[in-house]
Amino acid sequence: MNGYPSVSPSVRMPEEFRFLCMLHNVGATDPERSLSVQEIARWTDKEVPMIRDYLQKLQELGYVQPIISNETEKYHVSIMGIRKVLTLYS
Amino acid sequence: MKVCLLSWEFPPRIVGGIARHVFGLANALARNGDEVGVVTLDFPGAPDYEDIEGFKVYRSKTEIGHPNFLTWVFLFNHFLEKTLAAANREFNYDIIHIHDWLVAPAGIGFKHLLSKPMICTMHSTEHGRSSLHSPDTYMIDGMEWWACYEANGVIVTSNSMKGEICGHFHVPDGKVDVIPNGICPEKYEVKDDPWDTRRRFGVGDHEKMVLFVGRLVPQKGVEYLIRAVPRISGRFPQAKFVIVGEGWMRSHLEWLADKSGQRWRINFTGFISDQDLVALTKSADVLVVPSVYEPFGIVALEGMAAGVPVVASRVGGLAEILEHDKTGVFVYSRNPYSIAWGVERVLSDPGYKDWLVKNAHETVRKRFSWEAIARQTVDVYKKVLGDD
Repeated sequence: MNGYPSVSPSVRMPEEFRFLCMLHNVGATDPERSLSVQEIARWTDKEVPMIRDYLQKLQELGYVQPIISNETEKYHVSIMGIRKVLTLYS
Repeated sequence: MKVCLLSWEFPPRIVGGIARHVFGLANALARNGDEVGVVTLDFPGAPDYEDIEGFKVYRSKTEIGHPNFLTWVFLFNHFLEKTLAAANREFNYDIIHIHDWLVAPAGIGFKHLLSKPMICTMHSTEHGRSSLHSPDTYMIDGMEWWACYEANGVIVTSNSMKGEICGHFHVPDGKVDVIPNGICPEKYEVKDDPWDTRRRFGVGDHEKMVLFVGRLVPQKGVEYLIRAVPRISGRFPQAKFVIVGEGWMRSHLEWLADKSGQRWRINFTGFISDQDLVALTKSADVLVVPSVYEPFGIVALEGMAAGVPVVASRVGGLAEILEHDKTGVFVYSRNPYSIAWGVERVLSDPGYKDWLVKNAHETVRKRFSWEAIARQTVDVYKKVLGDD
């Protein structure tokens, strides 16, 4: 042993990142397939306030992009967000 | 020979080393005279079909999704199969070559429906990546076993991986061939201004650049490099650290960098273009590969080709690519003191650094050319087709 505690096992994946993965896996990966908050709630089974909180954080980080479609705000995973998600699966 | 390569990642959908591997292999097989099709997943901005340097690429759209990861994998495999069937109607492939478990259901379906042999390259295992800690990881482990069981031949990129596959999945020794990853050394012969590149990534002309390239996940061991920063900086106050890549651990690593008191020395670049990556690697003073688990370690090979000295953990495939004190410097994995020692060893002795770089460059050209790797791969195809 080298005397250094291993940090990784105690490091948990941030919840907003799990949420980003769900958004990616349901296919919201381009503007045409963007989803409204209500649609995201149906897919992910999460509460709307929590979804808004995650979306805000992810938008600030550049992993999610909003668009306005038919006067409704919708969201999709950005290219940077897709790359972020894929790092988990390889 | 008509070959179909099936992979979930292919440029510009680059996640880890698989995209570059499949591109290099497809390119080399096409130059070898084989007819090659690559079937892969779509990516924003990439065309559904393209002809690249003599081979064809088909990108499949996953028309329905699901929040659960494994369900999503099965869904995209269904759409990959449809794309594969359409491509096969045109080319009637002789063989299908899958890359990792993520595309195994489509490959296995193709094998049985069309009675064609299937080759599987296992780039890593879930057992090695995550130690099987959840139902999902057991499921992935089972899929990997299934892919190896169904494959007519299994290819791995290192002897270390062969040991893992034969030991963990009980695959017969004779079914597994070791063919390393390859590299195009010509890619690193482009002329660019290294000082300009360094400045763009926050490294001054009189500073030393310590580079890391890889996914920001536990298996890559980046946290141990960050923990080595104070020690390296103590010896080299002009050291700067450039961390290239993305991953779910990024926020934790940035927190660790803050905590070290040396955050100002560390630049997290996120994902960068291939062109920038080549220029950055060429302009670095040392490349550190601190992996905890590494089936091959193509980043080390890229460093060797780019003419930058490599300091790496002696794990997995890295132990087979590098030779200590000849083509690189080995350090203990999970050990910041050892990483600091390795970096200091290279930075403090320019003559030693030049010796490593010269030897490494020769090794890359001799052992890891894509042409040689394509020939070995065709030999495996011929073996399973009964043509050898």
